[in-house]
Formats: sequence, C-alpha cells, structure tokens
Amino acid sequence: MDDPHLNRDVLVALQEVMEDEYPMLLDTFLADSEERLSVLRQQTDARQLMETAHSFKGSSSNMGAVRLADLCHELEHRAKEYSPPDLQKLIREIDLEFAVVRPLYEAERERALFEKATVRRF
Amino acid sequence: MSVVTEVSQDGQKLTISIKGRFDFAKHQEFRESYEHLIPKPESFEVDLKDATYLDSSALGMLLLLRDHAGGENAEITLTNANADVRKILAISNFEQIFDVA
Amino acid sequence: MTAVQTPFEALTVLIAEDSAADRLLLSTIVRRQGHDVLTAANGAEAVEVFRQQRPQLVLMDAMMPVMDGFEAAQQIKALAGETLVPIIFLTSLTESEGLARCLEAGGDDFLAKPYNQVILAAKIKAMDRLRRLQATVLQQRDQIARHHNYLLNEQRVAKAVFDKVAHSGCLNAPNIRYLQSPYALFNGDLLLAAFTPAGDMHVLLGDFTGHGLPAAVGAMPLAEVFYGMTAKGYGLSETLREMNAKLKRILPVDMFCCATLLCLSFQRRSVEVWNGGMPDGYLHNIASDERTPLTARHLPLGVLSPETFDDRTEVFPMAVGDRVFLLSDGVIDTCDASEQLFGVERLHQVFAANRQPEELFEEIEQALRDFRGEARDDVSMVEVSLLDATQMSPPTLVYSDSGQSCPLDWSVSFEFRAASLKRFNPLPYLLQLLLEVHGLRAQSGALYSVLAELYSNALEHGVLGLDSNLKRDASGFARYYQERNARLDALHSGYVRVHLEVVPTGEGGCLSIRVEDSGKGFDIARVMERPAENVRLSGRGVNLVQQLGRNASWSDNGRSARVEFFWDALA
Repeated sequence: MDDPHLNRDVLVALQEVMEDEYPMLLDTFLADSEERLSVLRQQTDARQLMETAHSFKGSSSNMGAVRLADLCHELEHRAKEYSPPDLQKLIREIDLEFAVVRPLYEAERERALFEKATVRRF
Repeated sequence: MSVVTEVSQDGQKLTISIKGRFDFAKHQEFRESYEHLIPKPESFEVDLKDATYLDSSALGMLLLLRDHAGGENAEITLTNANADVRKILAISNFEQIFDVA
Repeated sequence: MTAVQTPFEALTVLIAEDSAADRLLLSTIVRRQGHDVLTAANGAEAVEVFRQQRPQLVLMDAMMPVMDGFEAAQQIKALAGETLVPIIFLTSLTESEGLARCLEAGGDDFLAKPYNQVILAAKIKAMDRLRRLQATVLQQRDQIARHHNYLLNEQRVAKAVFDKVAHSGCLNAPNIRYLQSPYALFNGDLLLAAFTPAGDMHVLLGDFTGHGLPAAVGAMPLAEVFYGMTAKGYGLSETLREMNAKLKRILPVDMFCCATLLCLSFQRRSVEVWNGGMPDGYLHNIASDERTPLTARHLPLGVLSPETFDDRTEVFPMAVGDRVFLLSDGVIDTCDASEQLFGVERLHQVFAANRQPEELFEEIEQALRDFRGEARDDVSMVEVSLLDATQMSPPTLVYSDSGQSCPLDWSVSFEFRAASLKRFNPLPYLLQLLLEVHGLRAQSGALYSVLAELYSNALEHGVLGLDSNLKRDASGFARYYQERNARLDALHSGYVRVHLEVVPTGEGGCLSIRVEDSGKGFDIARVMERPAENVRLSGRGVNLVQQLGRNASWSDNGRSARVEFFWDALA
C-alpha cells in the first residue's frame, strides 16, 4: 500500500533502530516540527525561510514524511524567487500536510507504546 | 633493465653492458650480474657505450668485479666509454689497472 | 587468499546536528554500531566539545545556527593539526556547489538524508581506516626522526673522537689558508697538515668514497699514520706506502681514498707532490703568474697492493711567495639548475680574472654561488704558500719521558748498502736515537735538517752520481728527480755510512756526526769558494750544514762530511 504522505517502510526501520526510544523519537520530531512551522508562518526573511525549510526537509525525509519533505524542498529553493502571496500559499500547504501526518505519527506512537506494554506481560 | 649481461658460447667471457648512470643505484644489479656464475668466466668486458656518467661508487663496483675476477690477475676490459667517462677513468688513473679500449 | 579483516575498534564519534530528532536518530544508529557518541546542537558547541573531548570522527550537519558546519569543520581541522579527524558532512545539499563547499571546508565525505544505516556504517569504517593509516604514518615518521637524531648524535660523537685523534696539526700555520665545511668529514673530505722535525711541512687533501660514517671511519687510521710518520721525520714516499697499505688492509674492496700529498720545504724551496685520483692542483708562480697543473698520476690510496703501489713523487721548485692550491671535486662537480657542471674551464676563468691572490678563495666561492644559485657547503680548498724559512716557526716537539735516564757516552755506526738505500729511509730511526739524549732535544730541527742534508747529498751526489747543477731551473729540477728515481731503481752497489758519537763535556755534551759515501767525491775547495747566494735552487747544502751545525768539515775528497752539535748543562 503506497501512502503518499508517510513511507511505512521507513517507520519500520526507525523502530528497529530506536527500539524503546522510538516513541521519544516521534515526540521529538513532532515538537521540532511545531517550532519550525511557527517560524515559517511568521515568514520573516528569505534567508530564514530557506534555512528552516532546509532543516525541516531533512528531518521529514528521515522520518518518512515524503510529501512534507518535497514541499519543504520547494520552499527552500524558491524562497528568494516566489512573491509573498506565493510563499504564503506554499507555507499553508506545508501546514496542512503536517496536519495530515501529525495524527499518523501520534497513532504510531500509541501503537508502539501498547506493543511494549503487551510484550512485557509475557 | 639497466644492467644487461651476455655470456659467450663457451662460458669463458662475460660482457656486462651498463645503460644510463653508472652509480650507486646499480650496485645490487651489477654485483648480481657476475657473482653467481658457475663456472666463473675467464675474462670480463664492461661495455660503457650507453653509460652516461660514472661516479666514485661505480669505480668501487669495478674494483669489486676486479677482486672477484682474480685481483691483480683479473682480465677486465672497459669498452666504448664516452668522453666524460673516459675523463673520470683518467683522473682516477683506473686505466692503470683496467684495460680501457 | 583470505582478506584480512581489521578488528572492530569502538570510536568516539561527535554528532553535530541542530535538528533534535535527527540528532537522536543518528546517535542511536551510531551507538548501535558499537561506538561512543558525543552530541552538539550547533557549530560552536561542536568545536568546544571537540576541543575538550577529542573525538576521533565527526558527523557534521552543514547548516546549523550560531556557527555553521563549514566554519566548525575548519576550526576542528585546525585543532586536530597533524592528526586526521575525518569529518562526514550530513547534508541534503544536492547541488554540486554545496558539495564542493563541504570539501573545501575540510570535509572528507558526505552522508545524505534520509540516513541509511548501511551506508553510514560503511563510511565510518572507511574513514576509520584512513584515520588509522594517518596515525601509522605519523608514528613511523616520528620513529624515523628519532632514529635520525640518534644517528646524528653518533656522528657527532664520532667526529669528536676523530678530532682528538686527528688534531688539526698545523693547519693554522701562517702559510696555510683553507676552506672546509664543518661536516666535511662526513662527506669524506680530509685535510691534514703537520711539520716534520726538519721544519718541512706535509699537507694532505683527501676524499674518501662514500658518505657518512663509513667515509669518516677510514679517515682516522689514515690521519694517525700521517701525523705519526711525519713527526718522526719520514718522507712522503714512506708515508704514502704505509697509508696505502693500511687502507688496503682495512677498507672494503670498493672503498678507497683519493688524495694529494705535498711536502713543502722552506729550506730547499721546493714542493714534492703525489696526486692519486684528485682533481688537478695548481702551483702558482707569482713572478710569471703561471699556474702549473699538478695532475693525478696515481691511483687512489687503498686500491693497489703494497707490492704494486707507486710512491714516486714529482718535485717542483718554488720561490718565496709562490703558492700551491688544492681543491676537492666538490668545486668542479657543482651543478646548476639544468645539471650543467661548473667544470674546469670556469675554474680557469676565475684564475685568469684573479688579481689579488689573497682573494682567490672568495672569488671561487662567489663564482660557485653565482653558478649554482646558492652556496655549497661541501667544497674543500687549501692554499699553501712558501714563506721564507725564517718566518716559519714549527712547534717544539713534546717528549713523554723525564729525560733523567739518557745515554751520554756512546757511539754507533751504520752502513747502508744498495738494497737498503733503495727502499729504506734511516733518518727517522737515527733521529729517534739521537733524541734519547735529552740535551739534544732543543736542537731537533737543526739536527734533522743537517742529517737529512748530509744523507741526501751522500746518496744523490755521492752514490748515485747526480749533478746538482741540473737543478738550476724548473725543467732541470724535474729531470733531476726523474733521473734520481731511475738511478736508484737500478742501483746494485754502493754504500752510505753514518757514524754517531756522543761524549760528555763538563756539564753538557757533544755529538759528532760523520757521513761517508762510496761516490766519486767533489772539489771541496771550489765549492767553498762560491759566494753564498740568497736565491738558489740547490746546492751541496754546504751552507746549511755550516750554519746549523758546528765545525763542519769535508775530507777524503768530499766523500766524508763531519759536523758537531753541542749542548750545555740543562737548567
């Protein structure tokens, strides 16, 4: 099943690496992302947009949020070219995309915690 | 190979040809070219046609060959030396102990 | 053939990444691979952590706040110095410009996001191999440097020992000028000078094959023979025979010593020369400004066996002020940038242009510098001038005994016949014998000169029948000595007798020397009549004997000469 928003294979690999720390990773990512989004929404200067978008792109791709990463890539490379209205539109898209994947990560976090609890029982 | 050897049909004469600079770098090659020949040749020729230069370590190597070939009774000829090489042989008076052709 | 697996070694890895999630992920991946992890959230922190903890490998995010990855990488590389600390840039920079920047900043590799564990492990392993390779290189370099210093020190010690053995003799005499690098010894260059008991001067300029200790080690026995025999009064030929035999015996077959030897006689105003394998020396006649080349006629020392060694010398007359100039092949062999040799022609040009003989050395050095573009420190040059005999003051001999038990009343006679005359110089033995008499020691120079003069007259003019008039001019000089050698080689009869008698006289004593030869004699009266000439190439030495000894007289038609030496009570 090809999910355009979230690459499940990446999540599997992440869990395998992080083991017990997997939930913490997800939390950290979500917290980081909130911060970055608030910076983007302020839309201060092109340079800051570029840097923030770059950083966001990096961690999104690490976490398997493929569409989010692509959007950030676009923002990073067009921050200087796009007009303010266009930038605003792009940032809004990023916002929306994050709103989509966020609950998916939260669900993932729950599942992992449950798994851990369940396993312990035996 | 900058040291080339040729033994005569009857094994009595060894000709050693030196190409390029005859200096310390050729030490091992030069020694190996005659040291282990059995039977030992009766006479030796060192062909210097392509030798561009001769220094004191080369003179030393010639002395080693002479020692191997019987010392005072050695039969060694140095051939085809160019002007520079001849000059060095002349100053050192090696013509007194080697045949220079 | 199985590949050799390098054993796993846990590294300390610094992860500099501003994104918390990425930092966490990467740390975990790296820890799982068995390494220890340090983290930093920005460039400045990364540099500080590196400074304090010195991790072995760095994973560096390119874009970071406070200080970016490029700057941090440069600072870390600077702190690391010679040690290789691999830096792997973490980047999603895809443009080649960005990647080029990573390299310029000192980055050794990249890791793209999203992180791939397998690739990361492979890169860490590869970087670690490089790191360890660099460490090995540095370690070996340090080892080599230590050994090198050790060898240098050994050489210093060897040089100190050599300096004691081969004291500089009389190189500081007023008639000698020389130039030698302090490391000449280790280029195989040797310069020795010493007075003979008669006040003559022996000089040796030598050049051993090879470099370093092997070259230097041969110099010591050579110097001992040179100084020992010269001090005893041996001539050049005997000294050369001994030096050659010694080197032939102790040096390996392919090592030898090129050398020029001089015997300068201030009294006889001549120089005796032997050149084995050295470049031409030059005898400079000041009056005519001509330079006579002193060419190598012999093989270097240590090549020929004692039976085949040729000790024949050439003799040239000299006037006061004339100089002999010797040089090692370092001068001729100096190369310029295009490997052209300085050569003999250029040296002759310097000679030709020289106006002041005192400036010859500087002019040659300058010419070499101009030619080569820089100074050379391994050329040896020496210039020996003939000064008037009165200007030379040889040092007094030092004796090792107290002189209390010395023979005071004795006589001895020797007869040296043809076979001995050919190959044996009795003078050193006779002198040693006479120096047993404490009272004679103060006159050892005069004693030796007189003995040498009487003996050589007896041999050359008496037994060999040579005419001293031959030595009238320079070419006659050469012919004289050639003829001397030829007649000596052919000698089969004849003798020289030497009688020595020491008797006490009051508190002091008297030595009488009588020398007889089997020759035809000469007209004593006629020789005595001749006015003493100041500048003369030769003579019967009659004047010398009369000046240095007492009561000189000739009898038996000139075949017998007698002279006395006196000494008073010693203080």
